[in-house]
Amino acid sequence: MSERAEIDVHLRGLEPVWEEGMGDAYAFYRLRAPAEVALAAAMVESGLQLQRLGGQAPDAPRLLLGDLCLARASRLLAETRDQRLQVGFAQAVERTAAAAAGGPPAPPLRDLLTATIADAR
Amino acid sequence: MIVGRRLQLPTSRSTEFVDITARLQDEIAAAGLRNGRLHLQSLHTTLGLAVNENEPFLLEDLTATLERLAPAGVPYRHDDLVRRPSVGPAEPINGHAHCRQLLLLPACTLLVEEGRLVLGPWQSVFAVELDGPRQRQVALQMDGDFGRRRAAARVIAPTTTVEADSKLARERRLVELELARQLLVDPEPVQLPMRRLVEAGGKRVRPLLAMLSSRLGRRADPLQAAALAGAIELIHDATLVHDDYVDEAPTRRGRPTVAAREGASTAIAVGDYYFAKAVRVIAQLGNPDVTTTIAQAVEAICLAQIDDVRLRGAFPGDYETYLKVVRGKTAALFAAACRAGAQLAGADEALIARLEHFGDLLGIAFQMVDDLLDYSERSGKPLGQDIRQRTVSLPLIYAVEHPDHGDRVRELLAGTPDEEQVREVQRLVIASGALDRVGEEARNLVSTALRELEEADLDGVRTLLADLARSAIDRVH
Repeated sequence: MSERAEIDVHLRGLEPVWEEGMGDAYAFYRLRAPAEVALAAAMVESGLQLQRLGGQAPDAPRLLLGDLCLARASRLLAETRDQRLQVGFAQAVERTAAAAAGGPPAPPLRDLLTATIADAR
Repeated sequence: MIVGRRLQLPTSRSTEFVDITARLQDEIAAAGLRNGRLHLQSLHTTLGLAVNENEPFLLEDLTATLERLAPAGVPYRHDDLVRRPSVGPAEPINGHAHCRQLLLLPACTLLVEEGRLVLGPWQSVFAVELDGPRQRQVALQMDGDFGRRRAAARVIAPTTTVEADSKLARERRLVELELARQLLVDPEPVQLPMRRLVEAGGKRVRPLLAMLSSRLGRRADPLQAAALAGAIELIHDATLVHDDYVDEAPTRRGRPTVAAREGASTAIAVGDYYFAKAVRVIAQLGNPDVTTTIAQAVEAICLAQIDDVRLRGAFPGDYETYLKVVRGKTAALFAAACRAGAQLAGADEALIARLEHFGDLLGIAFQMVDDLLDYSERSGKPLGQDIRQRTVSLPLIYAVEHPDHGDRVRELLAGTPDEEQVREVQRLVIASGALDRVGEEARNLVSTALRELEEADLDGVRTLLADLARSAIDRVH
């Protein structure tokens, strides 16, 4: 199966999100990580963007679509069986979400994910 | 579930220690609270609460102490009515009583175990009148695990016994300790709203399923199991925080939702934080199979939530659609809790599969009973919410099938029903017998779920799983 076909399998229900910027994010991470990890990173990034974390709350469908992005990223990472990536990605979301709620400031999400990918190599 | 009461309390003297211990015990019995907490709150500024010894001379000492610390008959600015033109002539001279109330409790929480107040041998609970005689009220709320009620309530399955609850007590304690430990280290802006939700109670069925399943293998480790169970509860709570925003729900477990109190933006961040944290805690257990099981369940939940919202346009839906949504929305995490617990302990694959199926059936039954609570005044949830929010719900699906009432129910649900129409739908659902049908179906599912376990070697956990399954659908409707 081609890389694009594999991506399409994982995008079920998220196709519009791919068009909205997930594709660009994937292209960025794909230079630094295997396809499934790059897709997971792009999904995390898109999920939090859909939910406008720290900004004005989105409508219900966009919130739930964001949840699905995060959940699918988590499943993709589980399938890699790479504990360092799983923990690092989760910590990146924790730091970003805590900062959005008024907790300690966090670096940009992309920096956190990129650093996790680099550490896991 | 939360049960609220008002204790009516006539007092007969200006200062009086009224022992309300027996009345509180009666309220606990009437509500059927087995294990949980009783919260008391004085509804007056000159009525306090105290826990102390009911010994007549001591009560005289306490009265004298109050008199010494805040004597009556001396000037208090509160009593200078000339300087308080807004008060009427009936305003009492009671500055001393207000000051004395500062020395007592305005509210307190008491623990309840096995249906009894947890009190030391010399402890009694007092409402302390400071400006009587008057008619007083003390507000009560009870939360925790409820069993058979003494009065006027229907249950849909045999209650679990106090003995069974105490057998599960160790698992419950571990789960609660783990949740407290997990929350303690989190940044306050996310921790405080989540603590409000976690501390409000909940049945903890999912984490208990994980705890019990994790005893069924050669690598059983209670601390690892507690970490998994706590994380599963956090996933469930994170989904509730987002659901409450989606459903615009004002309260959850009797307390304000995160979206209602802290705002939608914070609610989204809190849900994301605890979802990620739970995923991390599970990953740190170092069992890839467990990580995959939970990740798949969370994805199923999210897909079902999207379906649930989308299907509100096709309300009330049909049985197949209902089952699909419920399998994802509720049963997926029940099944995953069973599967992941057993995987963590290194159970064999056949047992893991049986437990997963058991969890799936139990989760569906649990949701069916949850649908019934929409018609129960004692559930602690607003009545008719499923109707207002156009949530797919089995009683409504069955009611529209009824030969006499079905057409009218369908007609009422076609638009956006006003409050009177919501009540009419409720009456028709009850008249159609749909609630009995759903209750019966939930009981049958639990029986099927338990049969699933009959052939399995459950190493002393069978009774506990059976009790937990029955208690999960043992909710008043």
